[in-house]
Amino acid sequence: MTRPPRVLLLLPTTTYRTAAFVEAARQLEVALTVASELPSTFEQAQPDALVTLDLAVPEHAAEQAAEFARAHPLDAVVGVDDDTAVAAAAIAARLGLRGNPVPAALAARDKHRQRVALAGAGVPVPRFSLHSIDGDAAAVARDVRYPCVLKPLRLSASRGVMRADDADGFATAFARLRVILSEPAVARCGDPARHILVEEFIPGTEVALEGLLVAGELRVLALFDKPDPLDGPFFEETIYVTPSRLPDPAQRALAGTAQAAATALGLIDGPVHAELRFNERGAWLIELAARPIGGRCSAALRFESGDGLEAIVLRHALGMQPISLRREAAASGVMMIPVPGSGVLQEVRGVEAARAVPLVEDVTITAHRGERLVPLPEGARYPGFIFARGETPEKVEAALREAHRRLSFLLAPS
Amino acid sequence: MNPADIRITAEPIDSERCKFLVSEQLHAGGVRRFGSAEDAAGSPLAEAIFAIPGAGIVELIVSSNLVTVVKRSPTPWTALGKQVGAAIRAAVASDAPSVAPRRESGDAAPVDDDALYEQVAQLFDQQVNPMVARHGGSVELIDVQDGVVMLRLGGGCQGCGMADVTLRQGIEGMLRQHVPAVRGLVDVTDHTAGSNPYFASAKK
Repeated sequence: MTRPPRVLLLLPTTTYRTAAFVEAARQLEVALTVASELPSTFEQAQPDALVTLDLAVPEHAAEQAAEFARAHPLDAVVGVDDDTAVAAAAIAARLGLRGNPVPAALAARDKHRQRVALAGAGVPVPRFSLHSIDGDAAAVARDVRYPCVLKPLRLSASRGVMRADDADGFATAFARLRVILSEPAVARCGDPARHILVEEFIPGTEVALEGLLVAGELRVLALFDKPDPLDGPFFEETIYVTPSRLPDPAQRALAGTAQAAATALGLIDGPVHAELRFNERGAWLIELAARPIGGRCSAALRFESGDGLEAIVLRHALGMQPISLRREAAASGVMMIPVPGSGVLQEVRGVEAARAVPLVEDVTITAHRGERLVPLPEGARYPGFIFARGETPEKVEAALREAHRRLSFLLAPS
Repeated sequence: MNPADIRITAEPIDSERCKFLVSEQLHAGGVRRFGSAEDAAGSPLAEAIFAIPGAGIVELIVSSNLVTVVKRSPTPWTALGKQVGAAIRAAVASDAPSVAPRRESGDAAPVDDDALYEQVAQLFDQQVNPMVARHGGSVELIDVQDGVVMLRLGGGCQGCGMADVTLRQGIEGMLRQHVPAVRGLVDVTDHTAGSNPYFASAKK
């Protein structure tokens, strides 16, 4: 009797993606083992279903996974975020499973390492420089070109990303980022938290590309427009709408740049999520991650096969028969609800009114009552998500904006 | 009651299952599970939801002010959610009880729910709850109907980012192992009301 294939799913305890991946595994009827960095209370009772791995140290996680696999053979490993993508690469290499080479996953995770690899391969990226947080900010401020963008090397959700238009602005942003990087939870990641990337601000239209690498070839699953300008001083993501309204040549140029970036990094298999800009000089690669889209945003993607994004990722990792990667015909969008201010969440009003907006499929409030909301650049968590589908991207965007207009957040001082 | 005054919050679990949290109580008599349109006969709320054209509704669970709907059709919850909401509003606004009391079947029951309830309750008391208590959580057995276990998570489990892992990889596995006659597991928790989740999602 043949056993069902078993997937090792690396789910950090802070991820939003648990339900979507667990349900996708159920739908595919594969055996699932969930690995997290902290133990589940059921781990001893369900030793084939749950395991704790040292996800922060990929080599150790690979050893632990190999030990686990001796009793429970694994057929695939899937990471869901930047850190687990590296751990997944290490485990895949250790067990001979489909995945990216570890150096490629490491380069994708670290913004500076990524810039170096891409610039070296001739992929259009902003001019950049790396600076110690202990360095002389005033001296750096004198040398950089403005406008520029200051970025941490590892943080996600645009946390800590700030634009500076002059030396004074640079000094302020540098000091602010230094405080963020000194927070214990951030400083724990070691040397990357001791450095700041400073790069040229690239004006233009920003898009997000969701793709799947199959033996090194990029299959574009969706190209999302970001209709709200991302010009700083902070870079809070709000609306994603697909299909893109950019002309076909621009879309081809963006896909070509993402492919070149993946190739330059050495990524070969699995999901990629890229942020790109397009202007009169062409397509620019801002960042490329070896993981699927974050937050709850994958719910905006539905495919003709009936699969969601997570099922496609799992199928690919398992080497299941190829299926259609064509997205549904409808336009679709998601709004990451902007943090409404700093304070403790007391109540969210207008959720039903927001849901009643035509084309709006759902409004999900992920922040809980009593939670402290922190705006960018210090914060990293959206209070919720709005989803809409419709005939055109314009209608979807309008529905998202109207739904958001109907929401109000009551905050108490924190 | 004016249907417009009834507030309903839809919380899709996945493409097949969605919870609807209603501002008014729908059923005070515990939990009612409907596995087919025939089961729904006599319960206006369930009849109306099973009758939604093209929805492919296969299961409905009603407890207090919570309705969990399971469908098999590809129709997105966008379209369907609004029809379910309309059915709920109509049922609540009418004078008749939305859900009839559970009928005692004259036929031989394929599953002895009472016996299952006892086994599941014992498992929850002796093994499951001591485990989730380590994270400040609790699991309440609501009912067993037609072999389907309905439960509610509380404490650190309510709204926890890893609640689905606890349910599917933990509790469901325990049920498969210790009470194999259980046919399914339905979480009727209002996770949006959780104010102290053990794990909170924090990344993009």
